[in-house]
Amino acid sequence: MHDDRADLTISRFIKAPPARVWEAWTQREHFERWWIPEPIECRAIKLDLRPGGGFETRMRQPGGDFEPHVAGCFLDIVPEERLVFSTALTEDWRPGTPWLALTAVITMAARDGGTLYAARVLHRTPEEARKHDDMGFHDGWGTALAQLARLVEARGEA
Amino acid sequence: MENNSSAYDSIFRALADPTRRAVILRLSQGPASVTELAAGAAMGLPAFLKHLGVLEDSALIRSSKAGRVRTCQIQPDRLALVGDWLAEQRALWIARTDRLAHYVENTMSQEHDDA
Repeated sequence: MHDDRADLTISRFIKAPPARVWEAWTQREHFERWWIPEPIECRAIKLDLRPGGGFETRMRQPGGDFEPHVAGCFLDIVPEERLVFSTALTEDWRPGTPWLALTAVITMAARDGGTLYAARVLHRTPEEARKHDDMGFHDGWGTALAQLARLVEARGEA
Repeated sequence: MENNSSAYDSIFRALADPTRRAVILRLSQGPASVTELAAGAAMGLPAFLKHLGVLEDSALIRSSKAGRVRTCQIQPDRLALVGDWLAEQRALWIARTDRLAHYVENTMSQEHDDA
């Protein structure tokens, strides 16, 4: 059942035209530089910009090996306007088994010489997501708070 | 959705400061008076009260007065939002969007100018 409590929307004005933002999203050498925070290294294994095209990234901690990160499938591609991918499917629409299924709808609109950028991210219901907590992803709010604090601090430094 | 996201925003803002996080961690062990909380902070009372105000606005804590003593306590329901996987996803996407904007506005613009 649809439940918008499991949705989130992030929007931001970017001081560059949509063409530039699209380039940053769709060209491997640019994409790899912002998708994952430093010092973790990102590799875009698949960035196949067509409906059904594979979307796969891997990450490597300093001194480690590359590990799986995101594996999904593009659902919709409208250059400089919209890009939709889901992790519920992998390349060529094959059903996947992600640890967290999500569909991300990325939109870009020209506005005042810049871009109004939005990421709308849809998840399964909170009840389903809670299963992941039971599997050990959730370790009490104290841990979550510490993680959150680090994230928020990292944001402040960026 | 709108209410939900502004709730997360106010919680994130509240937790963005080390003094306020210290208060939350102290209150996670049980209620405490404002005087006691302020004693643990390296700042004057007026500055500290501002921090408490931010925490109260975010509804992460609430306070009640009995006689001359104002006591603060944590709001477990609200804190549950913090441990929420969705809040973590939200933090992740906010940070990711910030990195994209920063990259496009700074790194890419410079490289275009250099070219």
